[in-house]
Amino acid sequence: MSGFTAFFKKEIVEYLRSYKALILLCVFIIFGMMSPLLAKMMPDILSHQAINGITLNIPKPTFYDSFGQFFKNLSQMGMAVLLLIFGGVLSQDLSKGTLIMLLAKGLSRHAVILAKFAAALILWTASYAFAVMIQWGYTLYLFDKLPVPHLFFSLFCLWLFGIFILTILLMSSTLVGGAYSGLFLTTAALGALIVCQFIPGTDRFSPLALASDNAGLMTGAANLHHAVTAVWITVILIVSALAVSLVVFKKKSI
Amino acid sequence: MDILRAEHIRKNFGSQHVLTDLNFSVSKHSIFGLIGKNGSGKTTTMKMILGLIKPTSGSIYVCGEKVAYGDTPTNRHIGYLPDVPEFYGYMTAREYLKLCGEITGVRRSEIHKRTDELLCLVGLNGVNRKIHSYSRGMKQRLGIAQALLNEPELLICDEVTSALDPVGRKEILDLLSAAGKRATVIFSTHILSDVERICDQIGVLNNGQLELQGPLNEIKQDYRQEALQIETLTPDQAPVLAAHLKALPFISKAEVSGRTVNVQLNHYEENSLDIIRLLASESIPILKYERLEPTLENVFMDVIR
Ligand SMILES: Nc1ncnc2c1ncn2[C@@H]1O[C@H](COP(=O)(O)OP(=O)(O)OP(=O)(O)O)[C@@H](O)[C@H]1O
Ligand SMILES: [Mg+2]
Repeated sequence: MSGFTAFFKKEIVEYLRSYKALILLCVFIIFGMMSPLLAKMMPDILSHQAINGITLNIPKPTFYDSFGQFFKNLSQMGMAVLLLIFGGVLSQDLSKGTLIMLLAKGLSRHAVILAKFAAALILWTASYAFAVMIQWGYTLYLFDKLPVPHLFFSLFCLWLFGIFILTILLMSSTLVGGAYSGLFLTTAALGALIVCQFIPGTDRFSPLALASDNAGLMTGAANLHHAVTAVWITVILIVSALAVSLVVFKKKSI
Repeated sequence: MDILRAEHIRKNFGSQHVLTDLNFSVSKHSIFGLIGKNGSGKTTTMKMILGLIKPTSGSIYVCGEKVAYGDTPTNRHIGYLPDVPEFYGYMTAREYLKLCGEITGVRRSEIHKRTDELLCLVGLNGVNRKIHSYSRGMKQRLGIAQALLNEPELLICDEVTSALDPVGRKEILDLLSAAGKRATVIFSTHILSDVERICDQIGVLNNGQLELQGPLNEIKQDYRQEALQIETLTPDQAPVLAAHLKALPFISKAEVSGRTVNVQLNHYEENSLDIIRLLASESIPILKYERLEPTLENVFMDVIR
């Protein structure tokens, strides 16, 4: 797999110089700071909207609410940002033709896929870790600590869902040409998953559960056993998507 | 030994038959000019040599080794410059060459040395800007530098000179000429004068195959038009001369244009003295007498007609 290290370094440099790394990091740090604050201020915001003298009786927000807010922000806006930042992960290189000379120099096609995956994975993990640390610190500062069951598992689920999105993006861009078609195909795939959720009984196996049951797991509203099943299914999907990317890209006309 | 050999290459894009039966070989240390109309399949052929696209059928050998589609080990012998080289705009030329060197597996100390040499060679030393600010000519030069980085035995350049001004073209051609001393060079172009300037072998790609291939000078011999151009001193002498010439049995055509008579004839070598004798006996004063050299353009037009 010649050229992995060199190409991996190129990927990292590219993320840094195109400010994508910076943007991703900033957005996730903002999520980490915003979620506890939002949870804390929610009663105030809502009570200001009380009209005609009706006072809303809102319970005092807790540690749970802070993380609930965090999961809500990250599973929706966070994933959208992830899609936008990594949307052109391979498509851009392919459609611009920048890979041609490097492949002609003997860069292995497997190295391209694996280096792109590794770089995206590291960037996502780093941003996520920052967000979690800041979220953690702020929440401890603003709220009283409560025992939270399965918090780490919940956090892990969302991280895994991020990886799932990255591999689907990578696979999509090996399957279709064009600068943004990888992004479109991935969005379509996620849309299909959402539609599938309406089929009774499938929702708990869907990778989407990893991004929707997080808060439920903490409060006990979601079934841990189901979540673990969803984790395994997602892991299998991630590995398969990577394998498909490797095989398809190896045989792609460039 | 042939450094490159293509056997019965066929390539279809859907229902479009781009190459039908392409056979050719390129011997070591030649500069091979691949010419053909737009869309005749030059770029396609080159990409197949690099294993970047898959021939519908047929095989290609580089240095005796078969080219495998996908990752092909034969690429270690090759330096390639695509028609429009695309770089990572956020890098400097030096950084890009370093990336290429690392990919090829050139040793670190060696990369540094080669990079300096090559940037000097292509005239980009001292340019420390990012590549996105480069002109097309500069990108073309950087493309040559990256192609030469691994000291390839076979240098493949796709339309290197198309985007360049006459000065830039001459410089690039000189570079290729120099590279031709150490490596075999294959380059495609539309600019036939470029081919005449540096190539010793040519191939004309037409109708999905190489319709003409061989040493440039031999091909020009074969296509030698038996043509003469005779310029008389005054315009009124030209028609007189033309009439006399037409009377000679071996002359097929003699057309007047101003003071010039354009003559087409058979077997010039045997009959040239008769023409001279005619000029002398009729006392027609001559300003210029020239046997027309065949141009590659005539050859090309002839083949693709
Ligand atoms: N990926 C592709 N899909 C479909 N058709 C293609 C593809 N690549 C090339 N072709 C077609 O194959 C033919 C040959 O293309 P190619 O680029 O090899 O020509 P060329 O000789 O390099 O032309 P030019 O002088 O314009 O560069 C063209 O008709 C082109 O439309
Ligand atoms: Mg071309």
